[in-house]
Amino acid sequence: MTGVRVDEAFRCEQCGATWYYDKHHCPVCASHEYGTTELDRGEVLSRTTVEMTPPDVRSPNDLALVRFGDVQLIAQLADDGVSTGDTVEFAGEYRLREGDDKTRPRLRKVTQ
Amino acid sequence: MTDVAISGVGMTDFESESDRRLLELAAVAAERALADSHHDSDEVTSIHVGNALTEALGTGTGIGNALVSELGMEGVAVDRVENTSATGASACHRGIQAVGSDQSEVALVVGVEKMSVAETQEVTDAISQLVHDREYAQGLTLPSFAGLAAGAYLDRYDAPREALGAVAAKNHRNGLANEFAQFQKEITVEEALSSPVVADPLRLYDCCPMTDGAAAAVVSEDGPVDVAAATSATGTHAVAERRDPLEIDSVRTAGERAFEAAGLTPKEIDFACIHDAFTILELLELEELGFYDAGTAWEAALDGETAVDGEFPVNPGGGLKARGHPLGATGLSQIVEVVWQLRGEASADRQVPEADTGLAINVAGFGNNSVCTVIRA
Repeated sequence: MTGVRVDEAFRCEQCGATWYYDKHHCPVCASHEYGTTELDRGEVLSRTTVEMTPPDVRSPNDLALVRFGDVQLIAQLADDGVSTGDTVEFAGEYRLREGDDKTRPRLRKVTQ
Repeated sequence: MTDVAISGVGMTDFESESDRRLLELAAVAAERALADSHHDSDEVTSIHVGNALTEALGTGTGIGNALVSELGMEGVAVDRVENTSATGASACHRGIQAVGSDQSEVALVVGVEKMSVAETQEVTDAISQLVHDREYAQGLTLPSFAGLAAGAYLDRYDAPREALGAVAAKNHRNGLANEFAQFQKEITVEEALSSPVVADPLRLYDCCPMTDGAAAAVVSEDGPVDVAAATSATGTHAVAERRDPLEIDSVRTAGERAFEAAGLTPKEIDFACIHDAFTILELLELEELGFYDAGTAWEAALDGETAVDGEFPVNPGGGLKARGHPLGATGLSQIVEVVWQLRGEASADRQVPEADTGLAINVAGFGNNSVCTVIRA
């Protein structure tokens, strides 16, 4: 994930397939030609609040499993007012783990 | 393939903190399994050691070779298998393959873990490093995945939290009857539901503990129980990539392969040892293996169907929840329990009546890899 941002997925330049978790080649057409694409808005499929976390992770850690089109990922929520079925987007600047060298966005509820 | 049997089994007590060294634990389990079999140690042609965390916890490398010397069995072939939480069953699978392909005549498989050598948070962090880098960046741990899956399950099937508590209470009740179990203490559903939150909706009593212990089996061509199938399958590394958070493809595929290899259907299995690292996993795996339709295992748990005296006993040895979860030993302890049950040697309070065929499923990570073993009397 060198260089890829938290709010970006990979996108195949040959077939247009998208994925979030690193692959050596496109999972659909096996092309090695791929770049990144920014994630827009996603739907929360499930959420949890983790109370017992590793030493350098915030506690509680609010997390959501989110679907952005073909891409699904689990990421930190910016606040706990998010429920299953809500629409979320990446926003803001936070340190996801203590000791991180830079800030990254968290998922925030989109209010129409 | 040559017929493969389990000719002997043995294990150490599973404990929060053992006085024994890592290699001592392994050696004790190995000696017990050999003593239980009709083979002497000089007949053993290969040793397959399962251990997941020794490097991460700083208790040495090359433990296969060290164990051979600890046992005074120099000369034998040895290898070490690592498959995170499914290490134990993977080591057994390797021994079964070795004997089944005539590459070894008598295989000794030993699974061992000593988790008490480090602080709980260090062990949690070591285990959390098995997740994908992009998952790790978000601070994800195995309980995080379990919490997300449990929330989705209760929501989709309109199931009450009591169903999860019922799994924990049942496995604790079975553990009480197992002298090797880490927890020999009965708990009520109410106690489970009021224990501290770990990853909402899961609470402390929904989660397995950290454990020290070892378990072993002797695999050869003949013995009192036969290996009907030993299969494995992988799933996605990143958990979020699974289209449906309630599906664990590796469990389903390993199970389908096992049923096909054994020529059996789920209905022909008398009892099962399920990888209940979290209570929700017992329900999901029972459904993925075809023992229950999707969205119905929770009712079976509430109705007592999966109790020792129920229609389909699940985790008669207490499961990971009560027997404990020393990563490298867990899969073998499931197999040890299946063998004891089939030989009618489990203690009266947990003995499954007329058990002829048992299944064990050992799961790595949150479904990264699953190993299924079917054994029959």
